[in-house]
Amino acid sequence: MERYTSWFAKKHFLFPASFIIRLALVIYGDYQDRTMEVKYTDIDYHVFTDAARFITQGESPCNRSTYRYAPVLAWILTPNIYLNFTFGKILFILCDVLTGLLIYQYLCLRGISSEVACRVCSLWLLNPLPMGVSSRGNAESILTALVLCTLLCLEGRRLTWAAALYGLSVHMKIYPVTYALPIALALRTQVTPGVGREAVHPQRRGWGSSLWGFLRSFLNGELLLFAVVAAIVFFGLGALFYHMYGWDFLHETYLYHLTRRDIRHNFSPYFYMLYLTADSEWSQWLGLAAFVPQLALLLLVSWVHHRDLALCCFLHTAIFVSFNKVCTSQYFLWYLCLLPLVIPNLSLSTWQGVALLALWFTGQGAWLGPAYFLEFKGHNTFLAIWLAGLLFLVINCFILVQIVVHYRPVAQAAQGRKDK
Amino acid sequence: LYNFVLTIPVYFSDDKDQNICGIGRQWLESILVSTECNGNGFHREMVTTVKFSPDVPNVLNVLLVHKLPRGIYVDPYQLATLNDSDSHLQILLDSPINLEAPAHRTGGFSALLYATLVGQRSKLLKKSIPIHCRYHEPSFGDQKAVIVNIGSPDLLLRSETCNDGSNFKSYSIVDAPCTATNSSICSWVQIRLNKEQSHVSLQIPVGDGSLVIHVICGTLLVTFICCSALSLKIWKHRVLT
Repeated sequence: MERYTSWFAKKHFLFPASFIIRLALVIYGDYQDRTMEVKYTDIDYHVFTDAARFITQGESPCNRSTYRYAPVLAWILTPNIYLNFTFGKILFILCDVLTGLLIYQYLCLRGISSEVACRVCSLWLLNPLPMGVSSRGNAESILTALVLCTLLCLEGRRLTWAAALYGLSVHMKIYPVTYALPIALALRTQVTPGVGREAVHPQRRGWGSSLWGFLRSFLNGELLLFAVVAAIVFFGLGALFYHMYGWDFLHETYLYHLTRRDIRHNFSPYFYMLYLTADSEWSQWLGLAAFVPQLALLLLVSWVHHRDLALCCFLHTAIFVSFNKVCTSQYFLWYLCLLPLVIPNLSLSTWQGVALLALWFTGQGAWLGPAYFLEFKGHNTFLAIWLAGLLFLVINCFILVQIVVHYRPVAQAAQGRKDK
Repeated sequence: LYNFVLTIPVYFSDDKDQNICGIGRQWLESILVSTECNGNGFHREMVTTVKFSPDVPNVLNVLLVHKLPRGIYVDPYQLATLNDSDSHLQILLDSPINLEAPAHRTGGFSALLYATLVGQRSKLLKKSIPIHCRYHEPSFGDQKAVIVNIGSPDLLLRSETCNDGSNFKSYSIVDAPCTATNSSICSWVQIRLNKEQSHVSLQIPVGDGSLVIHVICGTLLVTFICCSALSLKIWKHRVLT
């Protein structure tokens, strides 16, 4: 076993192998689409391609019903029309492998050895979930690559690049906007207790002074540079596409996601509640009530863990997805790509990790069963789906608790590796 | 793009031996149309079968007008994919389709299915359309499902060689697009049918509205407990380090 797993520790094998496996899946997917009734390619890929076709005809990609993505994605995929239908899939699997490479680079920058970094990367590169998602034509790998590149640039203190990539990430998908607070807290001037005026008159420091000191810490050259560059990229792209496509662009790319209330079954614990109350007067208040736990946890995590951006962004995204009013399986990739950054600092044993993974899959399976019977067999399993959604939330929270409890901060982890 | 005009002047004739453009009246009246739905759940196949007696005229254009209720929809993009494949499904929809709206927030629509009968070999026309069910409002009674009925389609015929409307005085004449490309309007003859079944019924599961209070309380309670437990652990861990 050690002999086989040692191959995972060799980057010259791991990265090419992961690309070849994904390419094989793309080729197989093309064969399945042509010969079988159940198609391999995801419906989203057809949506992207149809939107790209509209662009080639001089129209707006938003004319494609259910195209709820940034127009830049459809522009990138115009070679699907001009060259070959599978161009987009090749691009997505390349971004998928790039995500793995960025994870490797980040871990090496954190002082992890190449061998350990490769083993950790293999959790992404040889993971069937991202393999399947990207080879089926979902564009999540573009976002995962952008987010990881942003974190890598922040870790390497290349703030201009980090800001530009962050602005592009938020333009393409709105969820990275939650990282703004921890990034701001991380880049602000860190106040060391017991230094300066605070050390001279500690008893006389009031709330007003503390608040002013806290706010003043954000007036920092690095933070301002990051904010300005990110804003230029985000609003610049927004202005460009608004000029080209008007209100439809704003609605389909951003407003739809902010106000989305999908009453159809999904992993969210709020699904059944929102379905039953969709037309009632409580609907708006319940939507607000659903937002409170998500917001509270995001603020808490930002404050507690902003010094370790990898952990902070992972917890942010996992909490955002788990407590969101809509949750589909594609959202899992948003935080799964950040998990390898956290794993080297966990004191969990391999068996504990495997047990948590099995628990996570069990939670999904408990939901997928009744959902299948509802959607494809017509059985009334709404109650079972609701309960399974709540169970999945409980399992996700349990796993996050285990990660938080067993996480050793970077300095301690480095000392631990040194002591060994 | 989708608009077409229906005009239905109706005249009656008792002459059973009338031959219209080489098509026997008895042949027309012997046509049987049936509709069935295969599959279960929210994704099904609506199969329409048209049985003709032997001696089909040389070339005959067939148009089946399906009037579908608001609880059902077809995906025009899926249909376009099927159109490109071997199935050659020629369908024209009379209005844009909202793929995500629940049933009570949308309306019914018509799907025009085009086919061509060629020669005496074509005695049976069988066309399958993928349909999808919409979410319906929750039920506040004992019903666990709603019933959605799909009626049999209207059958319209058109001959390329015989377009003179005066030959069809005893039938309804309908103006409709000539083909699924909707580039021109033609006159079609609506055939009164001996329909084998009047409608197809689909059962679509719905949520139980009587549980709304339990669901709200249960959901908010569990999410509050999870949020609190996670917050405590995050804060406690922060204090320890």
